[in-house]
Amino acid sequence: MKISLNAIKKYVDIDIPTEELVKLIGSRLVEIEGTIDLSEKYKGIRIVKVVECEPIPETHLSLCQIDNGEGKVQVVCGAPNVRQGMLAAWLAPGCIVPATFGGENFKLDVRKLRGYESNGMLAAMDELDLGVDHAGIIEINPEDAKPGNDFAEVFDLNDVILDIENKSLTHRPDCFGIIGFAREVAGILGKEFVEPEFLMHEDVFPEGFLEENSQNGVSSKNCSIDTNIQNPEICPRYSCAVVEIKNDDLVNKKYLTKEDIFLAKADMHGISKIVDVSNILMLETGQPLHTFDYDKFIAVGGTNSPKIGVRLAKSGEKLELLDGKTIECTSDDILITSNDIPVALAGAMGGANTEIDGGTKKVLIESASFSLYNLRKTQMHHGIFSEAITRFTKGVPAGGTFNVMAEAVKRIGGQATEVCDNYIGCKIAEPIQVSIDNINSLLGTNYDINLITTTLENVGISCKQDDQSKLTVLAPYWRTDLHIKEDIIEEVGRLLGYDNISIDYPKRPFIGAEISPILSLKTKIRNVLSDKLNANEVLTYSFISEKLMAAVDQKIDSSYKIVNSISPELQCFRQHIAPSLIDKVRENTKSGHNNFTLYELNQISSKEFGLDEDNAPITKDHLAILTFGDFYKVKSIINSLCKNLNISILVKNFIHQEEFTYLEPLHSADIFVGEKYIGSFGEVKQSVLGKFKLDAKISVSEIDLANLLGQEKIGNKNLKVSKFPFVYRDITVKVDSNKGFAELNSSIESVLKENSLIYKVEPSSIYQPENTSNSKNISFHIAFSNSQKTLQPNDISAIMEQINKALQTLGAEVV
Amino acid sequence: MSTLEQLKLELKSLGKEYAKIKTLPESERKSFGQEINAKKQKIIEQIKNLESKNTEANIEPIDITAPFDVNSKPTESIKGSKHPLMVELDRVIDIYSRMGFDVVESRQLDDEFHMFDALNFPKGHPARDGYDTFRTEEGFIPPAHTSTMQHRVLKQYKNNLDEGGQIAVVIPGRVFRNEDVDATHEHTFYQCEGVFVSKDATFAQMLGVLKNFFEAYYGQDLKIKTQPGYFPFTEPSIELLIEKPKSLGGKGDGWLEMLGCGMIHPNVLKMAGINPDEYKGFAWGGGIDRLVMLKYQLNDIRYFESAKLDFLEEF
Repeated sequence: MKISLNAIKKYVDIDIPTEELVKLIGSRLVEIEGTIDLSEKYKGIRIVKVVECEPIPETHLSLCQIDNGEGKVQVVCGAPNVRQGMLAAWLAPGCIVPATFGGENFKLDVRKLRGYESNGMLAAMDELDLGVDHAGIIEINPEDAKPGNDFAEVFDLNDVILDIENKSLTHRPDCFGIIGFAREVAGILGKEFVEPEFLMHEDVFPEGFLEENSQNGVSSKNCSIDTNIQNPEICPRYSCAVVEIKNDDLVNKKYLTKEDIFLAKADMHGISKIVDVSNILMLETGQPLHTFDYDKFIAVGGTNSPKIGVRLAKSGEKLELLDGKTIECTSDDILITSNDIPVALAGAMGGANTEIDGGTKKVLIESASFSLYNLRKTQMHHGIFSEAITRFTKGVPAGGTFNVMAEAVKRIGGQATEVCDNYIGCKIAEPIQVSIDNINSLLGTNYDINLITTTLENVGISCKQDDQSKLTVLAPYWRTDLHIKEDIIEEVGRLLGYDNISIDYPKRPFIGAEISPILSLKTKIRNVLSDKLNANEVLTYSFISEKLMAAVDQKIDSSYKIVNSISPELQCFRQHIAPSLIDKVRENTKSGHNNFTLYELNQISSKEFGLDEDNAPITKDHLAILTFGDFYKVKSIINSLCKNLNISILVKNFIHQEEFTYLEPLHSADIFVGEKYIGSFGEVKQSVLGKFKLDAKISVSEIDLANLLGQEKIGNKNLKVSKFPFVYRDITVKVDSNKGFAELNSSIESVLKENSLIYKVEPSSIYQPENTSNSKNISFHIAFSNSQKTLQPNDISAIMEQINKALQTLGAEVV
Repeated sequence: MSTLEQLKLELKSLGKEYAKIKTLPESERKSFGQEINAKKQKIIEQIKNLESKNTEANIEPIDITAPFDVNSKPTESIKGSKHPLMVELDRVIDIYSRMGFDVVESRQLDDEFHMFDALNFPKGHPARDGYDTFRTEEGFIPPAHTSTMQHRVLKQYKNNLDEGGQIAVVIPGRVFRNEDVDATHEHTFYQCEGVFVSKDATFAQMLGVLKNFFEAYYGQDLKIKTQPGYFPFTEPSIELLIEKPKSLGGKGDGWLEMLGCGMIHPNVLKMAGINPDEYKGFAWGGGIDRLVMLKYQLNDIRYFESAKLDFLEEF
């Protein structure tokens, strides 16, 4: 939103440099994103009189002599409207074309056009960056200026435009008008605010106003127009007047006016007197106005006098708008009707059927307040983002409608023939009680009651000092955001400057803070995988495409689906992380990486998990690991990880095929900690790899971290240290190829354990000759020691004998 | 016999000679011992010199700039990496932990109630539009801010207050905004939320805690300044700016907008069952991605979720 500093200065005396003002506004009201110095932009532009004007043969150009106040200068002009005697804006050589200001900064010079010397140029609206019109050069009213006058001075362009970041003013409809913004500036500077008279000549509710006319649930006054508001919630107040107008008020103006400039400063354009009056009042007060053609209005309704209705649209109801588009309404849209026939989409756009045109004799001016909630839906549904609806969606205060409408009538210069003010939904602001202690104890300040009172009253918030420690505060009508004492505390803190509050620290007992167990587990996992196992941690999106889910054969129906994503790739909340990792392999191999290990720690969810006690979807923390290589590669990573985490795991037969649809069932396994299943791992199916255009063997694992929590072995370390020498023996067995390694291994270990030995058993080879498929040889390297004595040869052979026997009972042949 | 072997024999015989010490009178023993010792030291030194010369003579020189030795295979030099966002998040959490804040992780799927209603956003209020939320078929919301956890945390830690203590929690997590991705916009990013409630929490304390945090984070004293902000769940609300730190090239003039914060709105406390007349609190939330981008001068936010090893291996 752009606001002119000169416009603000009409209401408050500013005596500090702009730079300082910008800083103050930034720290006490809203961020100013930038400033534009118009005096630089319009520097050197003169108002000149065209004293001679001859067409240049065989061109569309004219050769002009202009009077620049100092003498005659020759300019070639291509505009069709250039003529002898007119006043124009002259960009002398050396001037920057305003439309290029801040961009390419195009500087004019003396140059020859068709052999004629041209000094600078005569400018059109678009070149001056005051509008889009390029049909001809601008013409200046001789009553406004004389040749040689400085253009910027005559048209109030020695000004600074403040570019305001209005997102943080969503709750401040009053600041969407220059007057409201200026009131705040006055408050910040601690200066007097000059309230414009038209906002003062009638307060929101003049004495006796409410009692005046209250029948059939309708509160109104001066009601010569029939208005019917269906529900005060959608339209708390509707003020309107009928005014006769002159024909001139409707046509494009001949001369550049100060109104054009005023509008241009806010990036709007002058159109006609009637439209300009509405737009300027909106920029000043934040109250949008709408103008209907009166005769069309009653003709549409087929009535003799206006029968205005404000109601919710029926779903599917149609209305052709001013821009020629016909919309289909939703039941949230508010319509203005003439005898129940729609004539405008309230707050958004007028209907084509009541548009003012060259033949309009009387206008019906509307100044109303509508429900911001309904208008927000209207805005979103119909995609209308006009200046007016932007203001309505902030909640235009009902208190100001009548005064602004009255001012519009006055500025049009007509006389209202009929007036109505229906304030059926207006509410008087409730007084707010706030104590000085409330304020200081929340802010951590020591402000006294008088400072607080002055600060609040500076911005129109009236205060009554109940005693030295309490205030009763009444918010003005335009402050629809003030309801509770905290709102008042915020005003005090803000207006007196948060930066002036001295910092302090909470007092805290010396209690150790809790670190989330899941977070510290994740940190440990990260340390092991990245620092010890050389894996690379990645992050990938929580939402994946249905295509990716289909590629890994996961059930799309079990995923929470995003319905409004801008990006087509974000469709399903993922049920596993591993598929995202598989998806990232090819891109990395293409850039030359091979043989890497990726992992990710993140949340997943599935509809099958159900909802938690808050009725929100249950999410789980998962770890996924992907590595180049076979089953045993990923198995060794998991083993190392868990050893480092001090967690004992068991690898069991794979029964989670349904969940791990992308794993090769014969080359996969489940992981258990004690009785608890924590996840699975294995080789990715060939068919799945094919879909990702991968040919190397890839293995993955996906683990539910919740089940790893609290599984760390603590205390009771089983130290394998003995002061007596270890005995080393190798043993090789021939077994059926289906025989499991673990069974043999544990039978050896149990013998050693039964003998109360300290031991280590490690496989040294697993060999299956290529031509046999029914047997394999497994060699174990066994080390053992007795903590009480040195083992003697007969002790050793007895132990080895027991081991041989144990293996033989399992069907193994010791070789 | 080589000189080295001879020297070693001499050293041995010195031992025998030394044994004579017992036969000498008490008065001569000292000088005798010193003499033998000096001889011994000299021989040891000579042996050392000879040995080191021998070693140097037997070892072939190598090319230390080569990646591996002649006639051998390349050795792999690989390095694992942690994601820079996670590393930074850990650092942020670590500082808050040391300040005494408990840590609770945010969730990635939530509902309208926690995302908006419990945070005092009026139903249908335009302020909700500013958050560009994703929605699921069921109307669930992948949260657009970690504030979605405020209500839960307030309820979960309410006991602290009943026991005369305080609520001091930080909430890191992944959040989502429905927008087009480009070099400076990501629909998926990370935030860290903070919540503090006590009997006498003040706005001034909030400024102190946050200033303290950033000073610890950047390892220097920092100036702070504020800008009024608007969040329905805090009142007053501000944006906090810090002086551009030296490590980021700051020279004491520039400012960085770091986070939004404010005093917790009484309705938010009330909804969590905390009496706003008795307790006050403050809350804040800021992005992690930006901290990392500033730190490493990254110019494209899309790297973070790209899983590109070319990027990740730098960390």
